Amino acid sequence: MAKVSVLNVSVLENPSPFHSPFQFEISFECSEALADDLEWKIIYVGSAESEEFDQILDSVLVGPVPAGRHMFVFQADAPNASLIPETDAVGVTVVLITCTYHGQEFIRVGYYVNNEYTNPELRENPPLKPDFSQLQRNILASNPRVTRFHINWDSTTDKLEDIENQDPVLSLGLPLSCPPTKGLDLPDCAPSIIPENSMDCI
Amino acid sequence: MKLLKPTWVNHNGKPIFSVDIHPDGTKFATGGQGQDSGKVVIWNMAPVLKEEDEKNENIPKMLCQMDNHLACVNCVRWSNSGMYLASGGDDKLIMVWKRATYIGPSTVFGSSSKLANVEQWRCVSILRSHSGDVMDVAWSPHDAWLASCSVDNTVVIWNAVKFPEILATLRGHSGLVKGLTWDPVGKYIASQADDRSLKVWRTMDWQLETSITKPFDECGGTTHVLRLSWSPDGHYLVSAHAMNNSGPTAQIIERDGWKTNMDFVGHRKAVTVVKFNPKIFKKKQKNGSSTKPSCPYCCCAVGSKDRSLSVWLTCLKRPLVVIHELFDKSIMDISWTLNGLGILVCSMDGSVAFLDFSQDELGDPLSEEEKSHIHQSTYGKSLAVMTEAQLPTTIIENPEMLKYQQRQQQQLGHKNAATREAGSNPKVASMVNGESLEDIRKNLLKKQVETRTADGRRRITPLCIAQLDTGVNATSAAAVPPTSSSSVLTTPSKIEPMKAFDSRFTERSKATSGTGPATITNVNQTAVDRLKEQNLVKETKVKDILESSSDSDEKIPISKSSSLPKRKLDLEGEIVEKKKKGRPRKDTRLLPVALSMQSPAALTADKDALCVSAPALALKLPTPAPQKSFALQVSSDPSLYIEVENDVTAVGGLKLSRLKCTREGKEWETVLTSRILTAAGSCDVVCAPCEKRTLSVFFSWGRGLLPPFFWHSPVSMFHCKGPYIMALISAATLFVWDVHKQVVVIKDESLQTILSGSDMTVSQILLTQHGIPVMNLSDGKAYCFNPSLSTWNLVSDKQDSLAQCADYRNSLPSQEAMLCSGPLAIIQGRTSNSGRQATRLFSVPHLVQQETTLAYLESQMAAALTLQSSHEYRHWLLIYARYLVNEGFEYRLRELCKDLLGPVHHSTGSQWESTVVGLRKRELLKELLPVIGQNLRFQRLFTEYQEQLDILKDK
Repeated sequence: MAKVSVLNVSVLENPSPFHSPFQFEISFECSEALADDLEWKIIYVGSAESEEFDQILDSVLVGPVPAGRHMFVFQADAPNASLIPETDAVGVTVVLITCTYHGQEFIRVGYYVNNEYTNPELRENPPLKPDFSQLQRNILASNPRVTRFHINWDSTTDKLEDIENQDPVLSLGLPLSCPPTKGLDLPDCAPSIIPENSMDCI
Repeated sequence: MKLLKPTWVNHNGKPIFSVDIHPDGTKFATGGQGQDSGKVVIWNMAPVLKEEDEKNENIPKMLCQMDNHLACVNCVRWSNSGMYLASGGDDKLIMVWKRATYIGPSTVFGSSSKLANVEQWRCVSILRSHSGDVMDVAWSPHDAWLASCSVDNTVVIWNAVKFPEILATLRGHSGLVKGLTWDPVGKYIASQADDRSLKVWRTMDWQLETSITKPFDECGGTTHVLRLSWSPDGHYLVSAHAMNNSGPTAQIIERDGWKTNMDFVGHRKAVTVVKFNPKIFKKKQKNGSSTKPSCPYCCCAVGSKDRSLSVWLTCLKRPLVVIHELFDKSIMDISWTLNGLGILVCSMDGSVAFLDFSQDELGDPLSEEEKSHIHQSTYGKSLAVMTEAQLPTTIIENPEMLKYQQRQQQQLGHKNAATREAGSNPKVASMVNGESLEDIRKNLLKKQVETRTADGRRRITPLCIAQLDTGVNATSAAAVPPTSSSSVLTTPSKIEPMKAFDSRFTERSKATSGTGPATITNVNQTAVDRLKEQNLVKETKVKDILESSSDSDEKIPISKSSSLPKRKLDLEGEIVEKKKKGRPRKDTRLLPVALSMQSPAALTADKDALCVSAPALALKLPTPAPQKSFALQVSSDPSLYIEVENDVTAVGGLKLSRLKCTREGKEWETVLTSRILTAAGSCDVVCAPCEKRTLSVFFSWGRGLLPPFFWHSPVSMFHCKGPYIMALISAATLFVWDVHKQVVVIKDESLQTILSGSDMTVSQILLTQHGIPVMNLSDGKAYCFNPSLSTWNLVSDKQDSLAQCADYRNSLPSQEAMLCSGPLAIIQGRTSNSGRQATRLFSVPHLVQQETTLAYLESQMAAALTLQSSHEYRHWLLIYARYLVNEGFEYRLRELCKDLLGPVHHSTGSQWESTVVGLRKRELLKELLPVIGQNLRFQRLFTEYQEQLDILKDK
């Protein structure tokens, strides 16, 4: 079972100018003390069309995490405007908050973000080259889309042969999860690296 | 009979494999398949029972859902106390759930539905042992054990008092084990498996009692579950799927000789589940009919793959009722309400049905008292505990008693109200360290601790807003409403890109794993092409991407290297600390010394160094050999260390030994002429026995106290406590001195009396605060020497059969109270032998057990008294009194009270002492009275002593 469940994410300072930092207040609950830190990331999707415009705004380690309920504020700088395709600057995009443990992502919270000009004139006649300083960012905070993944929370030192879904970098020194074979000899591990997308969203 | 199918009880169309009604009848649990995980749901019972409650929207139907199981849940079972819920599933796990009362209702973050979890059930234990799907779980009567069975062909018995301890793994089945049932008196557990056998196991030694195969010979095919059941009177065990003349049956197995002569016939397909009604019934007496007493009978529900349910009474030849086509698919589980009048049935088709019977149909249920009477008369032992609930008709004669009982109820009420309040209004508790959560949130960004790791990464220490299971600083962050925001998605032209985003919400880790040059090493063949593209992009990206994201490059190896050494350091720190302390901090008041045992190799006495050989004696204890140097911590509060260095070469070739003592940071040291063998100290004195059979004694601040002591043989073991010094010398005699008073307490007392065996050794010695020496011998016995009686007293014996037979667990105030610290606890060890006790529980006739328990408790009190351990004396006295109250020993209880009260009026000839081991007896009696008041049967005793105490108070 998941050792960490996210209880709530509040979007702070929203709406705000495009260049102001993102602020999320995240509260989560941990059922057993974690041996290692959690890693949280904010990813800004620059363009819906391609992943290549994704920007990791920031990543932060959170720890130590004893059992209990915890909260923290995750602040990250605004995306680098120069990396955003001009055609995608105005309009709806997405910001993602992900959390990984031992390099395995177990939750992804997505929000729609609308960037638009506050000035009605600009809204009517948007400049060809987007003027980011005039843009306002509005995160649709009331409608988070949460995806949870089953991961292996125990750093069992079982050997791994079959790591097809795993980033090999992660598995260099960190034996993470068990082979997805339904072997009878590994009672401790859940078949965790088969991507089991549990959709809890609307 | 009424039949109802509450359609709202469902797992969204997914199969429901198990159902169980909570013992208090207010809720029930279902288990089965969830969306892509296993699912356990707790439902409110009221809307099932009452139509108006079903219609009332303010009454919640679903109380809690847990989708923590990774795969389908095959079984859910409430403990008999109702405190815990156990669930087992295809993920090979058993989870034990407990209600967390302090957290208010909360929604699952991100889920749009308004379905809040009204109750919070938290997984308190995950039991891992099975290597295959867990098919059935069962709590033993009295909740001492939890059994689980699995497709790995085993049954595992868990210690329910101490999860996840495994008491036994029952092996013997050669097929998937699919059902379990406990004998209602706790002597057996039965399991049924696909290997065409039903096995009965003894709980005494967890060995196989019998294996029944004949009725199952013809069984072919597989049923998903084989849930068998034991009748509440213990006489019959009824199996699931059995065959008789190629017809499916439920086989009745008699406890007496495990005979298989009868069966329930009539189902057209295999029987999946049998469930006995928890009540025993007797015929309803009708007006005018003959009043001859009828035999009590049981009632049993049988569910089958043929989708029908039959209900049988053991006094009738035909079923009481058969309901055909109750479901679209096989019946999977059945649960009776505790009052025996309702049953819930669940099916693979994902629905449940509720049947409501009347007493006219089933008969008059016997009361719990009558039921326990049947058990007692049949098996000589009942599990039922005497509680006030069983004496509802007793009239309360005394206003004091009434007041007391009312107070108790009020307290209970308050407690309930408090939990209710906490449950209904989480804001009440939204405080952390006296600061409201709101205030904290306002300043969280400023206040939160942010550090940089060695590699420059940001690391935030999260603010803990609630600890789990403490129930004190409870908050509910989830209840904080998310900040409202206006909807921005108004223009229809924007719908197009949103679809493209949708995949991004759920796609896993692509954005994360795709960053950084690290991905170049990805060997995933199918992705190579794509990766090449990506890497091209990345190279450009890495150059001009934001600062913050650039340090995510190579983040994994770095974070690892930074966290690992840190942990290692911690570990080292711990070891160092441990070394320093030497032994656990807890027992600093009483430090049992086993120095000489620590180095058995060094025990052989260095004969050359001995000036005189010990007098020829039958007994000779090992003596410690001189070590080059050693250090030990005497106590941690005040901190006192002793360091010894032998053979420090001094001027002129003289060899001296140095004794260094650190007390609360201040040091003193001294030199001795002979080598120091061991050292010991207390807050008052520091002693160092030396090679030449001398003993040097110092005040703990360094001044020499006395000229060296001199003995006839070398010292073997040595211990100090307060002003007392205890020395065991190799000639097997014992000395105890009081250095303050400068008197000998025990002089040259021979151990010959207790060290009778040839190879017996002293394993541990210690002194109580009152200077009473205690020694543990290698055979598990412990003796103390009573100076006033000049005798050795046996205070503890590990092999004592009394200790193993005694069962006083019902009389323990609470689980924690078992851990009472003191000299007695140290001697006897804290190993909880409750498991061993429990296994003996059912093999001993009740009367014998009562006697052994009494004898055991009395000997414990006596031992505590001898050791002058007032704290432990009080502990055992209270247990003793509670046991007397529970089991109804009025005579002994009266004796006890009489002694504690003493003469109310002064008389000169009275021998009565008003205190016992420093405790005022009458204060003890005051503590006992509430205990006595718990059993209405003793209300007169209660009144009597209450009044006399009042008289004394007035005086």
